[in-house]
Amino acid sequence: MGRNAKTGLGALIVLLLVLPWLINPYVLQVFVLTISYAMLGLAFAFTLKVGLPRFDVAAWWGVGAYTTAMLMLKAGMSFWLTLPIGGLIAVILGWFIFIVVIPRGMMVFLLSGMVLTMAAQQIFASVPFFGGWGGTDVIPLPTLGPITFADKKAVYFLGLVLLGVNLLVYRALFTSKIGRAWGAIGSSLGLASSVGVNVVRYRLANVLIGNFFIAIAGSYLVASTLVAIPTMFTFVNSINVMMYVIVGGIAHGLAGPIIGALVVTFIPEYLRMAKEYEPIVTSAAIILIIIFVPSGILGILEKWVKPWFLDRFRRSGAKAGTSGALMSSDEQ
Amino acid sequence: MPLLQLSNVSKDFGKLQAVSDLTFSVDKGEIHSLIGPNGAGKTTVFNLITGTFPVSAGKLAFDGDDVTGYEPHEVAQKGISRSFQQTFLFMQSTVLENVLIGFHMHCRAGAVHEFLHTSRSRTTDDGCRHQALEIIDFMGLKGSTHELAGNLPHGHQRALGVSIALACNPTLLLLDEPVTGMNPTETTEMVERIREIRNRGVTIILVEHDMKVVMGVSDRITVLSYGKKIAEGLPHQIRENQQVVEAYLGKEEL
Repeated sequence: MGRNAKTGLGALIVLLLVLPWLINPYVLQVFVLTISYAMLGLAFAFTLKVGLPRFDVAAWWGVGAYTTAMLMLKAGMSFWLTLPIGGLIAVILGWFIFIVVIPRGMMVFLLSGMVLTMAAQQIFASVPFFGGWGGTDVIPLPTLGPITFADKKAVYFLGLVLLGVNLLVYRALFTSKIGRAWGAIGSSLGLASSVGVNVVRYRLANVLIGNFFIAIAGSYLVASTLVAIPTMFTFVNSINVMMYVIVGGIAHGLAGPIIGALVVTFIPEYLRMAKEYEPIVTSAAIILIIIFVPSGILGILEKWVKPWFLDRFRRSGAKAGTSGALMSSDEQ
Repeated sequence: MPLLQLSNVSKDFGKLQAVSDLTFSVDKGEIHSLIGPNGAGKTTVFNLITGTFPVSAGKLAFDGDDVTGYEPHEVAQKGISRSFQQTFLFMQSTVLENVLIGFHMHCRAGAVHEFLHTSRSRTTDDGCRHQALEIIDFMGLKGSTHELAGNLPHGHQRALGVSIALACNPTLLLLDEPVTGMNPTETTEMVERIREIRNRGVTIILVEHDMKVVMGVSDRITVLSYGKKIAEGLPHQIRENQQVVEAYLGKEEL
């Protein structure tokens, strides 16, 4: 990582730390949602690495959310315990499903993902134990020592920690030999298996690790909304997740989905004035981005801002070589 | 005992009989060519040996073990690797990274070590990198070690395909048209390397259309036509075989 990139990262972290005091509580709540969405976007990008587009994201998000809600309500368990348990349940359930699905290839995976999303919502809604379409009862506020999560700032910081851990784990995996094998599967299945990569096993591992973090994102969502309602986990959510990755920039590793989640979540927020036209305007904006900027927002930045940046540096006599790391250091 | 033995192997795709009742064997240390007109089933035979397609009937034995029905990665783990006819590479990765992927089976430090990037993982990594650079040098790609595979000229891409297969440290190497599209100089160099690979103890099965290359480099040749074996023998025997000339060489000069 170059010096500029380090400075940039440092500035970003400071900004994220003081952010709650700079914005109003409503916007902070949107940020909290965005963090959960960003983790979903990360999972989509993470599994796309092995050549599998997943549309089952909302299902496992719901599994995490309902696990936390039910365990806190029915078993009186602490929120902190439900967090990993939700992840593990998503991994175990996922194992039973994907061990059958993954050997049948990408198309079957994609379609079964859509079915899973819709089935999960139906199950949450129609099994009386989960509280029907009305959702669960309100869960007790999670606490950590003296901090209660009535304060949205606490929820926000918990989100930053979870997102950070999620990012670091994905990144460590991507840069390891496991990630190299994943990338090989994603770019050429035939070649990967010809060098001895067990495609099914590697894909299964990737998808289940994704499941774990998606469920964590679901538990986190409940820490903020305090209820789990079936209509929170819709097929539209699963589609949006793909949007985050495309809008953010599909070739930009793990930074893309985070930027994408921010933009796709905040565009509609600022279009609230257009009220009933909001979905139309949002969809149009996203279609325009896909048509005119297929490389996503980070793609534009790299193409336009970086040369401008480099030019500035050259004129001021600084060495140009280091600023190249600004965008690309994060890639696999 | 032959290294690879195909016994009465057949493959049909629906009504199309791509390979029928094929029996042939490859001995340790030889360069064995598989030739035949377009559509004779040569690449299908490769796909059957590597487990890319399951056989419809018959048996495959490698190094004394029955490998019928093995998955591609299991075949690779047994010591059979291949280069592809279409240029199949990791185009967005550098030459070095491509070759390192070939080390998948032989450079493992265990998942936990790799995830944590421990010193043990780094040591294995360095070892592999060293070997990868040797292969790159051997295949004449030293000058483009850090170039993206997608930007290489065609001849180099084919050489890279072979490099990846070599990184698997194979006992048996299947080369599918390794010199197609190469200029005469590149072709001569590739033929030299194929010989050198064999001299280092790797058995080779070669599918190639360039008859000069086939006749020059092969120890034995098997000829396929419409999925059937029509001849087998030494290069000069094949050259003089009337059946081969009829099936195949009506249009081409040997």
